[in-house]
Amino acid sequence: MIGIFKSMYITFATMLRKPVTIEYPAKHRDVPQRDRAFPILLWDKDVDEPFCTGCHACERACPVECMTVTMKDNPLHADGKSDRRKIVDEFWIDYGRCMRCNICVEVCNFEAIAMNNTWAGHELSTFDRNDLVLDLQQLLAQHKQGKIDEWVAE
Amino acid sequence: MVQERGPDTVDINVNMGPQHPSTHGVFRMVLTIDGERVIDVEPHIGYMHRGAEKLSENMDYRAAIGYQDRTDYLAQFLTEQAYCMAVEKLLELEVPERSEYIRVILCELNRVTSHLMFLGAFGIDLGYFGTSFTYGFRERERLQDIFEEVTGERMMYGYFRPGGLAWDVPDNFVQMIRDVLPHTRQGLKDLDMLMTQNEIVAARTKGIGAMNLEDSINWGLSGPMLRAAGSDWDLRKDKPYSIYDRFDYDIPVGSHGDVFDRYLVRLEEAYQSLRIVEQALDQLPDGPIMPEKMPRRLRGPDAEVYAAVEGPRGEYGIYIVSKGGDKAYRLKIRAPSFCNLAALRDMTVGNYVADAVAILGSIDIVLCDVDR
Amino acid sequence: MLALTYDVGNIWLDALLGLLAVVALMTLSTFMLIWLERKISARIQMRLGPMRVGPYGLLQTIADAVKLMGKEDLRPKTADRWVFELAPFAVFVPTFAAFVAIPFTRDWAVAFLDLGLFYVVAATGLSFVGFLMAGWASDNKYALLGGMRAAAQLISYEVPMVVTLVAVAMIAGSLNLSEIVLFQNRVPLFVWQPLGFFIFIVAALAELERQPFDIPTAESEVVGGPFIEYSGIRWSMFFLASYTGLMIYSLLGALVFLGGWEWPLGSAAGLWLQLILIFVKTSLFIAFFMWVRFALVRLRIDQLMSYCWKVLIPLAFLQVFLNGFVLVYGWPDGFLLLTSGAGLALAMYIIYRAVDTEPRKLRMVPARGGASSAQPATVDATGSE
Repeated sequence: MIGIFKSMYITFATMLRKPVTIEYPAKHRDVPQRDRAFPILLWDKDVDEPFCTGCHACERACPVECMTVTMKDNPLHADGKSDRRKIVDEFWIDYGRCMRCNICVEVCNFEAIAMNNTWAGHELSTFDRNDLVLDLQQLLAQHKQGKIDEWVAE
Repeated sequence: MVQERGPDTVDINVNMGPQHPSTHGVFRMVLTIDGERVIDVEPHIGYMHRGAEKLSENMDYRAAIGYQDRTDYLAQFLTEQAYCMAVEKLLELEVPERSEYIRVILCELNRVTSHLMFLGAFGIDLGYFGTSFTYGFRERERLQDIFEEVTGERMMYGYFRPGGLAWDVPDNFVQMIRDVLPHTRQGLKDLDMLMTQNEIVAARTKGIGAMNLEDSINWGLSGPMLRAAGSDWDLRKDKPYSIYDRFDYDIPVGSHGDVFDRYLVRLEEAYQSLRIVEQALDQLPDGPIMPEKMPRRLRGPDAEVYAAVEGPRGEYGIYIVSKGGDKAYRLKIRAPSFCNLAALRDMTVGNYVADAVAILGSIDIVLCDVDR
Repeated sequence: MLALTYDVGNIWLDALLGLLAVVALMTLSTFMLIWLERKISARIQMRLGPMRVGPYGLLQTIADAVKLMGKEDLRPKTADRWVFELAPFAVFVPTFAAFVAIPFTRDWAVAFLDLGLFYVVAATGLSFVGFLMAGWASDNKYALLGGMRAAAQLISYEVPMVVTLVAVAMIAGSLNLSEIVLFQNRVPLFVWQPLGFFIFIVAALAELERQPFDIPTAESEVVGGPFIEYSGIRWSMFFLASYTGLMIYSLLGALVFLGGWEWPLGSAAGLWLQLILIFVKTSLFIAFFMWVRFALVRLRIDQLMSYCWKVLIPLAFLQVFLNGFVLVYGWPDGFLLLTSGAGLALAMYIIYRAVDTEPRKLRMVPARGGASSAQPATVDATGSE
């Protein structure tokens, strides 16, 4: 009976402790700065264009082939406002395929891509899986609006 | 071991799984039962097969790390460790001291989270209504918070790289872990209090699913399953890899090889892992995390390598055949869950249905590891 | 609250009023009990429990009930139609019927029966038929296993339950619940019958199919047992019946062993004090049953049966014989306490000895050569630690 009483005691003792859970959708715990949700593109605020040049490095390195990138001549470069000769034209990431391995961030030579480290990057449920394929504007939106404090390993 | 039967009873087949609360994933057991007695078990695996080996062969050595996490998803750091060790062996890379220490710390914490998961789920298999599970998960979450602080992910870390680590740990790494260790000890103690001496747990586990040392070795069991049967085989001790020869710790060894011993061995192993973590935290040096002469692209020679780590479930090994190039020609995963599961029939037949659940729980399988 | 014995003159109207009162009480108490159980389990597991629907999730059960009523009432194609559909009633009605004979205060009950105790036990004992019907008719092997387990378990545990209540009735000299309560106006019966009290609690746990005896519905083995094929309203009837059963056994325990509305205030207590007393005592039982549910694991079916037939039933008969000797020879009441207490000690010793409690020592093999200084944290299975 000793063991049974011990089990009863420990369950009673834990009943008096504080709960460790939180009411999730109402309250969020802080995510660490290194948190890795899905990749997003970064916006160069000085020149007002994406950092991304559409160089395909991430696309080639992606283990699950969730990215599609095309490149175009940079119109701002012709005007002399930007020193990027080429710039990203279209960029799609299929969040339904992405396995959040961080490799695209590591291979990027321009620090143009980062992992989303906000809750907005996690809560992405949709009714249609096609909605998980994000285009360039959607990928840039969060950083453009300054809603993100990105962390990229050096 | 067919039981003695009366003249007019009919054996029935009970299909346990693939959707069943106690098969730990999509595992299927076809039980032939005579009343409550199991007279035959036929395990069906493969529901979770994704071709992790083949996928890993189709991408370069760095990109394949993500797939190692997804085999044994309760001991991700250990799978990465095994894979990185294999690639390092292949490319003859020297891992810096600091990286080795961080790897050991994370791996041992990962072993603790895996065992906490086992202790929780095992309680549920025996009949706790979630209590053991929440006790285990409570502390597991704290450790996962640390993993998230370090790697950014809670589950599929993708943090180790051939040669070292992807990036350095945060500045408060040591303090963070030191703060959490008392909580982890408390959680293990709670589970200990809840289950170890409980007479009902003892009645349900002692002498059930016993397997002697000789059979265990013949079945190729490893890890806590083998140690519960009385062997002290532990790769960390017997084939020292990484820097495990620098720490003092004990290998808990059982004597009966039954379900209860497996539980005890795992509980004790978790404490021992915390000891290793504490020693490693004391000794953690400064320095680089990647070797100085790191090739930009990893290209292997014509060679074959095997590297194995002592995972929470047993020997987790990676065998790589390279024929040059930046991809493995063949990558084989020696999955401990798969090998341990092979002994299921021998242990289960002749016991009750309820015991079958407890025995399956005590093997501590991860279905992604079994099916790969 | 309704005055349950209010006599309107018409026998049918009277019956209808009583029925309504019982149904209302059952439903309300079930809602509260489910909420309470979820909260208690949450606190034991250091969770918050239901928090969203209403203050502290009080209305969660109502939300669940609405959801369950909205669900499709499925029946497997190969099920035995009538047996399948009638099984919930066969579980529900006996528990429901048992409620009728339980007095809440000195003047409140739907019916004061002279054989109240006998009636309550007999009525609740019938519910196993429903489990068996559900298990058989579902045409599902898990359900069949669960139904058979339920039948075996409920019939077995009926015996020690009845025998121990017989022992109590011997002391009190009546089967009328009101008189049993009246008998305890100075000293509650659990003082004179500790062994009987213990057997009652264990048997009640088994009758209620709660941990450690939830073998028929074992979630991790037979996945809900007889209920596996039920959904929606029929499933919720099983649920309602099980919580009503919890209420009945708790009330019965409060009446028979804790002195109901009499102890410790005696006959002087007014209606409200009586209600509060019975409420507190019932709550104690309920809280205990819920607490046990989250603190213990499940037994195996053979252990369950051997525990019942080899331990509980002999001990229950022992209690009856002891009471008989004391009553026949007119020994002092203290003797009852002494003998029954010794029996309780024996029962606990048997539980302790029944399993292999030999301490298990793990052999600690030091890695890296030297002997280890640290003591293992878990060597002893049952030792001092």
